[in-house]
Amino acid sequence: MLISNPTGILALIKREVMRFLSVATQTLFPPMISSILFICIFGLALGKRIDLSESGITYIAFIIPGLMTMNAITSSYENASSSLFISRWHNHIQEVLLSPLSYFEMVLGILVGSLVRSLLVVSGVLAISLTFNPMPIAHPFLMIYFMVIIPIIFSCAGMLAALWAEDFNMLTMWNTYLIMPLTFLGGVFHPIHLIPAQFRFFTKLNPMYYLVNGMRHSVIGVSDTQVMHSIAVSLALAIVMFLTTVYLFRIGYKLRT
Amino acid sequence: MAIMRNSDIAISIKNLSKFYGSFQALKDISFDVERGSFFGFLGPNGAGKTTTINVLTGLSNYSSGSVDVFGFGVTSEYQKTRPLIGLCAQEFNFDPFLSLEQMLVYQAGYFGISEPQAKRRANELLDRFQLSEKKSVKYRALSGGMKKRLLLCRALIHDPEILILDEPTAGCDLELRFLIWDYLAELNKEGKTIFLTTHYMEEAEKLCKTIGIIHNGEIVQIGEKEKVMKEKTLQDVFLELTNYREKIC
Repeated sequence: MLISNPTGILALIKREVMRFLSVATQTLFPPMISSILFICIFGLALGKRIDLSESGITYIAFIIPGLMTMNAITSSYENASSSLFISRWHNHIQEVLLSPLSYFEMVLGILVGSLVRSLLVVSGVLAISLTFNPMPIAHPFLMIYFMVIIPIIFSCAGMLAALWAEDFNMLTMWNTYLIMPLTFLGGVFHPIHLIPAQFRFFTKLNPMYYLVNGMRHSVIGVSDTQVMHSIAVSLALAIVMFLTTVYLFRIGYKLRT
Repeated sequence: MAIMRNSDIAISIKNLSKFYGSFQALKDISFDVERGSFFGFLGPNGAGKTTTINVLTGLSNYSSGSVDVFGFGVTSEYQKTRPLIGLCAQEFNFDPFLSLEQMLVYQAGYFGISEPQAKRRANELLDRFQLSEKKSVKYRALSGGMKKRLLLCRALIHDPEILILDEPTAGCDLELRFLIWDYLAELNKEGKTIFLTTHYMEEAEKLCKTIGIIHNGEIVQIGEKEKVMKEKTLQDVFLELTNYREKIC
């Protein structure tokens, strides 16, 4: 059976949630404030100069799913990476490693904690966005799918970074040099037709492009990709990242000497 | 009720070797610890005591051999061995975000203990180790001796069959040392198996029934305390088998 210790997983999830709630001023509110700023500056001020009338949407509506995706990515990544890395740093990861939780359950516990944080942040961003730009959600169930699958991928990415990192500098490296650039280039703030034609091929190689556009399709019903492509890419990434993380826990990569 | 495959032998280590790169920390060591025993595992710094403990608890992988806890393999059946072991580590490795009570309740939760039961158990232990007044504070607010006691509370929260103590009284004042000794003796009397490493020979001499001495990754002496001591003090035996040995090499 995959889950043999439900009480144990629940305890781990509670601890993870408790951890980020105890520093809510750093974990929950800043993404919402930065989203307001993005909406005000890009959506309300600069957005008037971007013409998306062909798609029948306003620029502010266009960036809302992008902001949701970006915040789903950063909050889940930061939560999982900081939680696991700090517990390695202080060595209280031993509390979990000495327990009868299976490695699958350990990963699941940390992942669900990050997922909860991401859902709170993204729901907050969505609520704030809708006050600026009221609109119906095009595909609510699909939106929930992307609100869940994206944090799964990036919680695992955060755990992988936390296992690999030897110091805080290494921990932030992936986010600074890979995840954030790919997210921005993935179409958070721009549709693909605004990119020079010769660079569009590279955009299509960027997995974030499919995640951003999947979320965009679910929220406003418009996107640059086929939604099935977004679902397939996100599902494949989630499975690969999750299995890799469980495998590294099982072999004790940087967890056991 | 703890599940055991072999209820007589608490710990069985056979031909255990452990390498760190090219350095061999444990050299083909073998020994058993009987259920209910108070086992003192002695050795100089770097002899292999903590490595052995880490292998037993699953915090370290090992290179070859077998390690069983009540008949279950610590690697292949880790979900069965871990509830049977409580580890009181050397270092203060606590979660800085949690209060003492929260820490113990979550720790109990990982072992499948329900929250009401975990709270009851946590409060009993905090009371037993005179930490009740501090249950709502974070561990950084504790003195060194209090942190030592908290380590013990955490090791005991799931009521394990085997308690592994890695230098539990190092740095403690006399009063705390006596408190810990009394509690360990009481636990052993109740039937718990205790695996103790210490650098205080009088501690091992007072508490332990069996003694194992490890030096440079090899077991150099093991047996009942009286047989190991042979009418000498434990300190003399220890020095003979460790420092003295080095001198002639």
